[in-house]
Amino acid sequence: MTENDFSRRDFLKVLGWGGTAVALSGCGNTSIQDGQETVTSYVTLPSYVTPSISNYFNSTCAQCDAGCNIMGRVREGRVLKAEGNPNSPINRGRMCGLGLSGVQAHYNPDRVREPLLRTGDKGETITWDKALGLINEKLNGTKGTEIAFVTGGMSGHVQALLGNYMDELGSKNHFSYEAISPAVLRAANKKAYGESMPRYRIDKARVVVSFGADFLGAWVSPVHFSQQYAQFRKGSRPEGRGVLVQIEPKMTLTGANADRWIAVRPGTEGVLALGIINALGKAGLSIPADIAAVSHEYTTERTSKETDVSAEQIEKLAALLKERTPSLVLAGGAAEGYAHGSQNAAAIALLNRVLGNVGKTLEASASVPFPQIAPTVGSRSSLIALNDGLAAGKYKVVFSYGVNPVFSAPASMKFKDNFAKADFKVAFAQYMDETALAADLILPLDSAMEDWATVVPEYMAAPEGAGSNAYAQMSFRQPMMEKVFPDTRGVGDILLALLKQRTADKYKEFEDFYSYLRSAVLKNKVALGGKAGDDDEVFWNETLSKGIVPLKGIAGSVSAKASAAGLKLPVPTDADPSYPLRLIPAVSASMRDGRNANEPWLQESPDPLTTIVWDSWVEINPKTAAKLGIVEGDIVEVTSKSGSIKTQAYLFPGIHPDAVSVPVGYGHEAMGRYARGVGANVFGMLDSVFDKETGELALNETSVKISKTGQRVIIVKEEGPVGGSQAGKPKIAVQVSADKVDLSKEV
Amino acid sequence: MGKDIREDIAWAQINKDVLKSLESPRKLYWVIIFVALLVFSVGVGCEIYQYNTGMGVANMDNPHVWGLYIASFIFWIGMSHSGTLLSAILHLMHADWRKPIYRFAEAMTTFSLLTAGLFVAVHLGRLWQVYYALPYPSERWIWPNFQSPLLWDAMAIFTYLSSSILFLYIGSIPDLAICRDNIHQGWRKKLYTLLALGWEGTDRQWRNFRVTYLTIACFLIPLAVSVHSIVASDFAMSQQPGWHVTSFPPYFVAGALYSGCAAIITLFIILRYVFRFEEYMTLPILKKTVRLTFAIAMVWTYLNCIEFASVWYSHDQVAKDVLIQKATGTYAPFWWAMIFCGSVVPFAMMVKKWQTNIPVMFAVSLLLNLGMWLERWMIVAPTFSHGYYPWTWDHDQWPSLIQWGIVFGSFGWFTLLFMVFCKIVPSVSMYEVKEMVYHRSQARKKEERAVQEELAVKGAH
Amino acid sequence: MSVSNLLENWSKFRHTHPVDDKGIPDWEAYPSDIKWAMSIDLDACTGCNACSVACYAENNLPVVGKDKYSHGQAMHWMRVERYWDEGDNGFQAEQGARFLPMMCQQCEAAPCETVCPVGATNHTEDGLNSQIYNRCIGSRYCSANCPYKVRYFNWYNYPEQENAWPAPLNQQLNPDLTVRTKGVMEKCTFCKQRTYTARNNAKTEGRPVQDSDVQTACQEACPAGAITFGNLHNPESQVAKQWQSQQVDLIKDIQEKDEKEGNRLRGYRVLEELRPYPSVMYLERVRESAV
Repeated sequence: MTENDFSRRDFLKVLGWGGTAVALSGCGNTSIQDGQETVTSYVTLPSYVTPSISNYFNSTCAQCDAGCNIMGRVREGRVLKAEGNPNSPINRGRMCGLGLSGVQAHYNPDRVREPLLRTGDKGETITWDKALGLINEKLNGTKGTEIAFVTGGMSGHVQALLGNYMDELGSKNHFSYEAISPAVLRAANKKAYGESMPRYRIDKARVVVSFGADFLGAWVSPVHFSQQYAQFRKGSRPEGRGVLVQIEPKMTLTGANADRWIAVRPGTEGVLALGIINALGKAGLSIPADIAAVSHEYTTERTSKETDVSAEQIEKLAALLKERTPSLVLAGGAAEGYAHGSQNAAAIALLNRVLGNVGKTLEASASVPFPQIAPTVGSRSSLIALNDGLAAGKYKVVFSYGVNPVFSAPASMKFKDNFAKADFKVAFAQYMDETALAADLILPLDSAMEDWATVVPEYMAAPEGAGSNAYAQMSFRQPMMEKVFPDTRGVGDILLALLKQRTADKYKEFEDFYSYLRSAVLKNKVALGGKAGDDDEVFWNETLSKGIVPLKGIAGSVSAKASAAGLKLPVPTDADPSYPLRLIPAVSASMRDGRNANEPWLQESPDPLTTIVWDSWVEINPKTAAKLGIVEGDIVEVTSKSGSIKTQAYLFPGIHPDAVSVPVGYGHEAMGRYARGVGANVFGMLDSVFDKETGELALNETSVKISKTGQRVIIVKEEGPVGGSQAGKPKIAVQVSADKVDLSKEV
Repeated sequence: MGKDIREDIAWAQINKDVLKSLESPRKLYWVIIFVALLVFSVGVGCEIYQYNTGMGVANMDNPHVWGLYIASFIFWIGMSHSGTLLSAILHLMHADWRKPIYRFAEAMTTFSLLTAGLFVAVHLGRLWQVYYALPYPSERWIWPNFQSPLLWDAMAIFTYLSSSILFLYIGSIPDLAICRDNIHQGWRKKLYTLLALGWEGTDRQWRNFRVTYLTIACFLIPLAVSVHSIVASDFAMSQQPGWHVTSFPPYFVAGALYSGCAAIITLFIILRYVFRFEEYMTLPILKKTVRLTFAIAMVWTYLNCIEFASVWYSHDQVAKDVLIQKATGTYAPFWWAMIFCGSVVPFAMMVKKWQTNIPVMFAVSLLLNLGMWLERWMIVAPTFSHGYYPWTWDHDQWPSLIQWGIVFGSFGWFTLLFMVFCKIVPSVSMYEVKEMVYHRSQARKKEERAVQEELAVKGAH
Repeated sequence: MSVSNLLENWSKFRHTHPVDDKGIPDWEAYPSDIKWAMSIDLDACTGCNACSVACYAENNLPVVGKDKYSHGQAMHWMRVERYWDEGDNGFQAEQGARFLPMMCQQCEAAPCETVCPVGATNHTEDGLNSQIYNRCIGSRYCSANCPYKVRYFNWYNYPEQENAWPAPLNQQLNPDLTVRTKGVMEKCTFCKQRTYTARNNAKTEGRPVQDSDVQTACQEACPAGAITFGNLHNPESQVAKQWQSQQVDLIKDIQEKDEKEGNRLRGYRVLEELRPYPSVMYLERVRESAV
């Protein structure tokens, strides 16, 4: 990797001369990458480096799929901290804990440092030449249909390159997999509004009713929605302080911030939505006939009985929605993770139509004008397809990049065994995670702070102002410093090298991915906001220094076409007495699907609701716990039809008595020192039940029973022995009723 | 009640008996030394580990930043007070029964202060920077913070320690001269010669000696009272519930005298046996000490009740919560044990038969000291576990074995110092016992003469 | 070293505070035109912990691991507390949870400052409660006397013996401030390294410090923008406007508005009644009663 060292450094120097916010990481004398140092006096510094003054590189966060724009703070050749890019319409200069921990992925001591080849049970360090040669060798004589590539959600030029590679191989088997994906939401949105990811305008709504959408925590683009939420809560805005109602069986971070958190019986969210529509009709709102035809069956009494939400509450909610418009109704994972998840989402979408929110608080989004860089979104259903193919022995060579299906697939899918059936498995990996361990060849990846990429977010936030309806953006990810480990490579570089194996001629002009990306960007200078006459160098540097490329996107449109036709919600049945409780796998803002579990800040950052650190837990309603004789800290066994885990019990008021909840992302058996052996992996015990329409794994469809093991521990958590009590102290965390304060004049 | 001391002991006999204690104690002495060494080395081991690893091994945390070290520190400071009580206060009050026992009580004062000093060191996170707390001349004009009760503490203890060493030493000079004159060879001879400062027992020397001794005694009394008041200020001057109690200074002083007296009883019994001091440390003296201890126990109990009452009837809800927490929370067993040992057990000292029963008094004195140690712990710990801020309440903090080990070791250190001292310096003041015997025999003669005269008068009729 | 110097420093030290010995406010005597202060809107705060992680990143806080966390030895300068509404049957979740980010309140009459035997914690001229690591001997009296318990002690040697930053994680450490060794106390500094730079820059440019000059790390990260930070002395600063509009006066222990009937403002300070005069104002969390 030393061959492209020079060009990159030159490029970075140019940036510095440009005088923009970007300058070279380090003084250009030290190369961590090749492990050599050129001794040069620090007295003669490059003009853009002042000792003790930080430089900032604009880049894009890679910790989740929201694609927040970040600035890397760089001092003397080291990136120290990720800060938000204030010009970003997505995160507007803000960061979440997950994003901030990106530097710990970059500097992680457990990163894979050299290509590794498995021989039997042992791994052997090999050179890149040998590794790439080996891939070439294996691919020769393998049919395109026998080659599969599994990745997470992708976008940008890496995706384009991957597409080209797949084409060269003659394979159509690119599986885009996300363990936690809003796939049901996308489908339901498409059906109800005509767009899979419309723009949500929480900031414009007077009331937000969220059916389990954890938009402040882990849903779609949480930092962006937090910005909107802050606006929404401002008493001084013309609409006044917004009211948030969260309906879900297990309290999420968003639920914890709601004015009213309603514990609904798991799976009956759709019923409640229809019940609210019925109540709205009773309150005098005109309900379209097709909807009324369905909703009239859901009388308040029936709804109350089925959903476990009091009639009074339903009527109050309907009254509030009728009185305060516009409102916004959201559907999230908690409502969608069922066999009838799509039906739930469809029923909830009806509310937006009935309340006239479509077009007001649900706006059309825009998409990038280049389909090859537009995001490919991941889902669980694609993993199922891959798994079926593997089980049938269809795939001989499998590549995996950026995903960990061995960890996150339910045990009942037997993914690990099926994966082993492929002859040659290549993992592009930053950590020796469970999937990398099961692979034959492990290629060490650059971190997101060392690599080049372009990113197109799936949820396209837009700045305020004219033209926002057609606003789309592409963000740059660029190296902020030299490589921490000299022998890792960027995914683009690897793909380019692999492409050259197949068709050397087409790509010979590109020395590396950087030159490929640069030429691709320059070719589209005009579309990317430049003028035809602009100097290439200047245009490239300016674009890169901004980090965000606004594009004239293809404006979408939303329409209130949600229809009640074909809507059929199951009548809740009594629980199976041998598995009486519903398991809700909880997705926390920091742990997500567990891919970042080896970042110690995240492990030590308490779960906001339970304040537990460094372990899994099972949340049980105190009433249920009392019935089962469980107290806090009891090690309990949570057993489903498909598996079981043992973990500590935490008595939690924010959960429906019929449900228990275990966070996902814990319980790694590999990956690194901070992740391994921490907690239990709840993915493994999920039943294989799928949403009937999208084929997505129904995360909340697993029923469990809970039994005590007799062991008890003291839970390691932030809160003290009195839990969340303020012990009668008048002035600690004070809460006031909205009618007791005047917010309109607040600064 | 028997006599405090036999009036007919010959002075030479006193010298002989006491000097014998410097040479041939009972075997138990060596057992005690050995055990003390062992215990002390446990403490040293723990401290080395803690020094190298960090205070975390003591299992302290936020908010429990202070633990047994501070509790034991107060305990040892407290114990030092009764030496002063016996030698200075009773000296001024002419209670001559103190004479056979004040020397070791003073030694106890000095050594328990030295032990307390250890805890300051052990407690500090950065022991190696301890000199920052001293107002030493610094080029940068950096001073310690004179507002801090801890600094007052350091100064008070330092003053008290130096004064009590001086007091102990000056009071021993005539005895050291006796040692010098009776021991004819070896390092001891040299040591005693050096320490006796050329004492010849001239009239002039005795006059100067008396004046000096009296002056230091007068100086020491307010000092002793102030030292524990200042230790109490560490707490009373803070803002924490359960600590900012106005009555803490007298309460601490009473507690200090109490634990000190209890310790005197313990050591009395041990020395009496180990050094064969049955003739000097007599049961009637024990009885007087026991009665004194009982009186102080009642003062302490009274002040304790005052503290509870003032918290209970105040409007300070937080302080009240801490009190309730003490009585009902995690610390309840220890708190009730403290009440039992400190306020119930002393009633055993009311039983006349037991006042001179050595095994019973030995057990009682140990229990009293346990109670007083618990009292200190119960002052320090519950406030941390149940302070102003409910989020940081922490009811499960339990000191680690390292912490216990160091506390344990401190007893070894104290015993070691004390026992070695008793073997080198006469632990019974020879010259004062002689005085006592003389005065008593004079008094007796006077009495007898009076009786005879009376009889003579009667006979004349 | 001179006694007169001691006495001089003494009086100066006392006058760093706007509240004099008798408790009478005396802003005139305040030695600087900067008084850093904060306000946190609990209605905007979502409890997401981003501030806390940002603090770890900015201030070189060690990750202590599960075992030490279980012993209460975590080093989070900024902790997000979660409270529940309390009803007759235990905790109620119907109105969500209440979050409270708690860090050093930079009290003007700080209980910690007076008790330190070596003067390692002092009041700075810009109204901060500073901690001098070099001077600290680890008596922990400051923490013992802190009503909020927001001071964190280095129970172990995290940088070296405990290997809290195994290479290359140590390359992330912020060179603008030190890592702390065992035996010293530490706490939130209001990102001292940032405020100091801002002050210097403003001074160089010959102008007063403005809001745009400095953000604390927690404020910068906060996704909901719940944290406001700035110079309370500058009437143009957002934080001064907020304090003023909420009628919270730094130098009072009982705010006049709280005494009045029908107070419709929501600014308050935690444990104000103990009279530490904290520099952090919280805005009460608001909950809609109509639903």
